[in-house]
Amino acid sequence: MMEVENPAQKIWQDQPVEGIKMSAEIIQKRAAKFERRIMWRNVREYVASLIAAALFGYFFVTAHDVLSRVTFGLFIGAMLWIVVQLHRKGSATSLPRGVDTLTSLRLYRGELERQRAVVRNVWSWYLAPLLPGFVVYTIGYAIRFQRPSAWAGLALMDAIVAGLFVVVWKMNMRAARCLQRMIDDLNAVE
Amino acid sequence: MTSAQDELYSEAAQTYGEALERLARAYEADADLGRDLVQEIHVALWRSFDGFDGRCSLRTWIYRVAHNVGASHVLRQRRTRGQELVGLEELENLADTNSGQSAADRGHALDRLLGLIQRLKPLDRHVILSYLEGLDAASIGEITGLSARNVATKIHRIKNMLARQFQQGGSES
Repeated sequence: MMEVENPAQKIWQDQPVEGIKMSAEIIQKRAAKFERRIMWRNVREYVASLIAAALFGYFFVTAHDVLSRVTFGLFIGAMLWIVVQLHRKGSATSLPRGVDTLTSLRLYRGELERQRAVVRNVWSWYLAPLLPGFVVYTIGYAIRFQRPSAWAGLALMDAIVAGLFVVVWKMNMRAARCLQRMIDDLNAVE
Repeated sequence: MTSAQDELYSEAAQTYGEALERLARAYEADADLGRDLVQEIHVALWRSFDGFDGRCSLRTWIYRVAHNVGASHVLRQRRTRGQELVGLEELENLADTNSGQSAADRGHALDRLLGLIQRLKPLDRHVILSYLEGLDAASIGEITGLSARNVATKIHRIKNMLARQFQQGGSES
């Protein structure tokens, strides 16, 4: 298999090696650990949204007035929409093995670009679907409790929600910048 | 786990185990991290054989998987270490500036060779490693996905650079 036409090839091929061997047991353990890591990463993406949807489902069933039901119905719809979008857009995909280097680098860059687009557009698929629920909740609460102290509390709650939206958006923008750096790195080494 | 997967892995480890160690050394200078990388390559190979369809030779498949693990490792390390990597053309010029140094200053031949390889961008690193392993241009093209013409140009550059470094400059080891 090995042909030597250059002294450097001989230097390279004659270098001492340690003869590292891996038992089948160790390989299987490591492979299983890797599979578990991937599985939990995918599971984590959905569990939080599904728990929230179940919670809103409970509130929906036990709510006494129409506006509350509409509110929780909108939240449930938003959560399910987010789960579907996470599945369609956000799931980490495994790159095919055994492809040539150029293809591998291109696929990897494509995957990074896809992930960057997902986090950059977090407003459209994650935050915006939650807004109708909050708006209806605010209107319903304001109608139900018509006194200044209740409205002040409502304003505070909305401010906190708005703050959380900004935090989520900023975290995603930071993730997008990180992905951009990885893409730049990849372009630099290709 | 299937027996075919195990058999393919055993064959790969037995036939290409030493080449994989050399390959890992070219992707990681630190000895301990290099051992970890060898193990990472072995696990990746074992996992990959689950999807081996025989559309390319076993050797091509093994080198593709191993190089792709190596390239991922380089990209990870580059982010943490901030190491600048160069292409073959730039390395040729850098190697030229070193060729005036005495042989003693440049240390052992293998260390020099590793020093050159570890500065290369992943794709060029694949080409030089495959060349050093004695693979022909067609095989290198199949592993890297580069065109035959591109591989030929790169090999020409590699030969020139290595000739200057290890023939004119002395090939002490």
